[in-house]
This record gives sequence, structure tokens and C-alpha cells, in this order.
Amino acid sequence: MVNGNRNIDDHVGELLSGYVDGELTQQQRQLVSLHCENCDECSEILTRLRELRQTIGQAHLSELGEDKWRESMNDNTVKTTRQIGWLIFIAGLLAVGGIGIVGFLFSDEIKMGMKLIIIAVYGGLAALFFSVLRQRLIERKSDKYKDVEI
Amino acid sequence: MNNLDMRNKLAQLGNGAHALALQMLGNTDDATDAVQDAFVKVLNKPDAYNANTGPLAPWFLRVVRNHCIDMIRRRRPENAEAHELSDPGPGPEDSFEGAQRDQLLKRSLARLSVEQRQIIVLRDYMNLSYAEIADVLEIAGGTVMSRLHRARMALKEELINHG
Repeated sequence: MVNGNRNIDDHVGELLSGYVDGELTQQQRQLVSLHCENCDECSEILTRLRELRQTIGQAHLSELGEDKWRESMNDNTVKTTRQIGWLIFIAGLLAVGGIGIVGFLFSDEIKMGMKLIIIAVYGGLAALFFSVLRQRLIERKSDKYKDVEI
Repeated sequence: MNNLDMRNKLAQLGNGAHALALQMLGNTDDATDAVQDAFVKVLNKPDAYNANTGPLAPWFLRVVRNHCIDMIRRRRPENAEAHELSDPGPGPEDSFEGAQRDQLLKRSLARLSVEQRQIIVLRDYMNLSYAEIADVLEIAGGTVMSRLHRARMALKEELINHG
């Protein structure tokens, strides 16, 4: 921590960083300034800190540009909207399907034998569909070439 | 702040946030994911930011930092130390001299602790004030100068030793 009653001959340490950053009080600035006039060691550190700050400020620590981030924000909006759209669509489809199935099962106009045949046909189709879907999803997850553009 | 203003400001903060996330996660893809996730979080709940409480930059960087901490916690135990940066390879910088300088800086930064890397990026790369740094790192304002100075001195030593 900074000692307010520091002697001018004491090394100013962390105050050098505060000085470079313009974060000191006027009194602290004067103290650092006067100390560095007579202390080669602190004066040298001050110069190095300024160079360091400049080097980091000019560095490319991230290679991506502003446009890339703007694009990614739009991508995310499109992705979220699409997901919401799919959720609503699937929910609607399930509701319609559910009503249809209940109507079909409790209908007096269709005989029980016919109901069983229709359930077997559609049940079989559904089982086949989910089997293929599962296989595709597993393949998609483990395919290491999925991002390769041809 | 309207949605377009917020998007523009967030896009400007993207690179700095990415640099911060990269110093924490040690992997550029994870860092990109962290920033994009933070964008989604913020844009889905824009009212969470109150302009009266301060500028957007420290608030958004705190969101990114907290998300990075969550990502580190979620990592499997064997990868828990992955946020210790490995020496980065060459990147597509503008000039040979600039590229060499950047590589040396990245290598030297990689040898510092995560806390030291964060505080240097926030001050010297993103130009945040000490008060804003304290806000992002959730530390006492009075400790920023001493922490930053120690981090800079450590980086200076690394640059001298490996330059």
C-alpha cells in the first residue's frame, strides 16, 4: 500500500506505475517526479514501464476484428431466432399429432382390428425414423471431417 | 441505450474481451466461445446493464470474466490447469518486426500468473482506469496499483530474460 508520509529518498515502487497511468494525486506526482530526478534506478524503471505500456498497447493480443464480432452477434441472433422457431413448430406439431392420436384411439367409427393395424404401420415407421435419426446424430457428432469444405 | 448502440459498443469491446478471455482460458477457440456466449447473454437481457451505474466496458468485461471462470470450473479435473497459457505459435501479424515483438510479448505473458495477465490486459491493452479494473476483477480499488506494478515488473523481467 502507498504510504502518504514517504521520504523523498525512499524508492517510490508502485507509485511509478500510478505515475505512468496518471492515477496519482498531485502530491504523489510531485514526490515521484522529484525522486526520479535523483534516482537513476527508479528513473530507469519509469522509462521501462512507459515502453512496456506502449508495447502492449500496440500489440495484437487478439487477431479478430470489430466486423467479426458484429457478424458473430448477428449469427447468434439468427441462431436463437431459428431455435425458437423450431421449438414453436415442433410444439405445434406435437399438439396437432396428440389431438389426432387421441381422436383416432377413441373413435367409435374405426374397428379395433383396423386401429391395431394402423398403429403397427405408423409405430414401425416411427421406430425406423428414430433409429435412422439416432445413427445420423451419432455420425454427425463423431465425424472429424464435418467442417471440411469441399 | 438502444439495441444498435449496444451492439456497436459490444463489437468495439470484442477484441479486448477476447484478449482477456484468452489470457484466462489459454485457448483461442474457447476464448471466442466465451465472448460469443457473453454477447448472447447481454443481448438477450439488455436491461441487466444500467448506464447510471457506470460505463459498459467494465460491466461487459465482468460478464466475460465470470463466464470464463464458469468455463474453467466446468472443465474436467485433468484439464483444470489448461488456463495456464502454453507458448503461442506464430500468428498472422502485419510485419515481421511487429510479429516478433508480439510473439515475445505473448510468450512472456504466458509465464505470468492468470491474475497478473488479466490486470495487464485490462490496463495496458484495454486502457481501463484503476476503478474500472477493480470493478471487473472484483477487488478493492486500493490494491490495483500494487498488483499492477508487481505484474508489470514480472513481465519486464520476463521480457529481459527471454528477449
